[in-house]
Amino acid sequence: MFQYNFMQNAFMIAILISILCPLIGMFLVLKRYSMMGDTLAHASLAGVAVGLMSHVNPILGAFLLTSFFGVVIERLRRHFKNYAELILVVILSLSVGIAITLISSGAVHANVDSFLFGSILTVTSQDFYLVSALSLISLFIISQLYHSLMFMIFDEEGALIAGINVKWINYVFSILVAATISISIQIVGILVISSLIALPIATALQLQRGFKPTLLYGILFSFIDIVSGIFLSYWINAAPGGVIALVSVFLLLGVLTFQKIVCHAGPILKLAK
Amino acid sequence: MLQIKNLSFSYGNTPYILNNLNFELSDGKYISILGENGSGKSTLIKLILGLLTPTKGTIQNTFQQTAYVSQRFESLNKQFPITVKEVLTCYQKARHLPGSNLIAESLALVNMQEYADALIGTLSGGQFQKIFIARAVMGNPDLLVLDEPSNGIDIKSQNEIYQLIRSLNREKHITVICVEHNLKAAIRNSHLLYHMSNGIGHMCNPKNYIKEYLMENTGVEEYVSI
Repeated sequence: MFQYNFMQNAFMIAILISILCPLIGMFLVLKRYSMMGDTLAHASLAGVAVGLMSHVNPILGAFLLTSFFGVVIERLRRHFKNYAELILVVILSLSVGIAITLISSGAVHANVDSFLFGSILTVTSQDFYLVSALSLISLFIISQLYHSLMFMIFDEEGALIAGINVKWINYVFSILVAATISISIQIVGILVISSLIALPIATALQLQRGFKPTLLYGILFSFIDIVSGIFLSYWINAAPGGVIALVSVFLLLGVLTFQKIVCHAGPILKLAK
Repeated sequence: MLQIKNLSFSYGNTPYILNNLNFELSDGKYISILGENGSGKSTLIKLILGLLTPTKGTIQNTFQQTAYVSQRFESLNKQFPITVKEVLTCYQKARHLPGSNLIAESLALVNMQEYADALIGTLSGGQFQKIFIARAVMGNPDLLVLDEPSNGIDIKSQNEIYQLIRSLNREKHITVICVEHNLKAAIRNSHLLYHMSNGIGHMCNPKNYIKEYLMENTGVEEYVSI
């Protein structure tokens, strides 16, 4: 299957996504803000529609509009501290409204199904370069902000008093979430991107390790989810998004079962010794 | 030095939570802020830390570096995947604090070297508080602010924590502001007591606090036994 150029591109993008999604997901899940991923994924559909309508690369369109909505969410979150989830509903409604209106009115002369469900057939070389550039920039920024982000999500008040620019970092993080979603939508699909952000980390959290090991396990699980999802989708001729989501859930269930067995078997084995 | 002059605070158009507070805290002192729930202690702390802006009056803070130990144990997510070492590492790296041995030194200060790889959720309240004090003093602060450091902690750990805070104050000359419910610890350790009631403050001498202030204002004889 690797004799095809699109498959090589898809596989390379998959590797980048498998690193970026859990990296962003770790901070979102621990901030208890996983739904932001879902909201921005829907916002990216509006970006794709605007991009296709204005003959701009849809991934770039998705990145610009999703970044804008990400910054708006962060701004409103500070203003309506006790109603953060309500802001997500407002942005989700607005962006889905824009997307459906543009697509259903015929203003967009293209099929958006590949962005909804994910597709490995439509990955062009131009997409590959754009996704690679966005990924590398995102990875560089996260590596620079890694410890500050870790400090902030563990103890935001403490970080503020210690002189960390919490406000600025939260805005940058919103744009990083937007970039990750834009990078991932073509392979994974808008409908399941949020699961890929949250599920590998949810799986890794079951292992009850420290921050760094949890993150590394998250990346490993994400890699298994995406790569096996792409291979399976190729063989059964299905959209990769759905297969990746199914693999993610099964892997989570597998790890949960394994942990239960270890918890129960541990004391029995000790007694037997 | 910390100088508070005519400080008043209210949230929006609500009545004043703090009403015309005045006090001065010179370098190297240990002050405990006492008072009932809702008396305005936490609001005063937030103002000192710069998290809130005074409605009236001024706070002049000439300390170079302020560290804060919040009352976090109760609200901590026990499932949070972070080890003791990672808590200290992210603080050091995020604040660009120099020192390759800083984490080991900080753990040694609170006598918790063997807990470096323990998950934070597995620690007891006393151990957790010690780690947060170790983290707070990593950057050599000259002002340490603590919010009820003995809350929910057993007696043995309380004694260890107060001994630690006292040694930071007396030996390392770190000025301490401590919000307290533990009257015994406040009287034993502090140079000054600041009693708050309904947003109004009153500075007292720890030695005469019970006789001069509490008994006169409340008439409760049982304080004499402390």
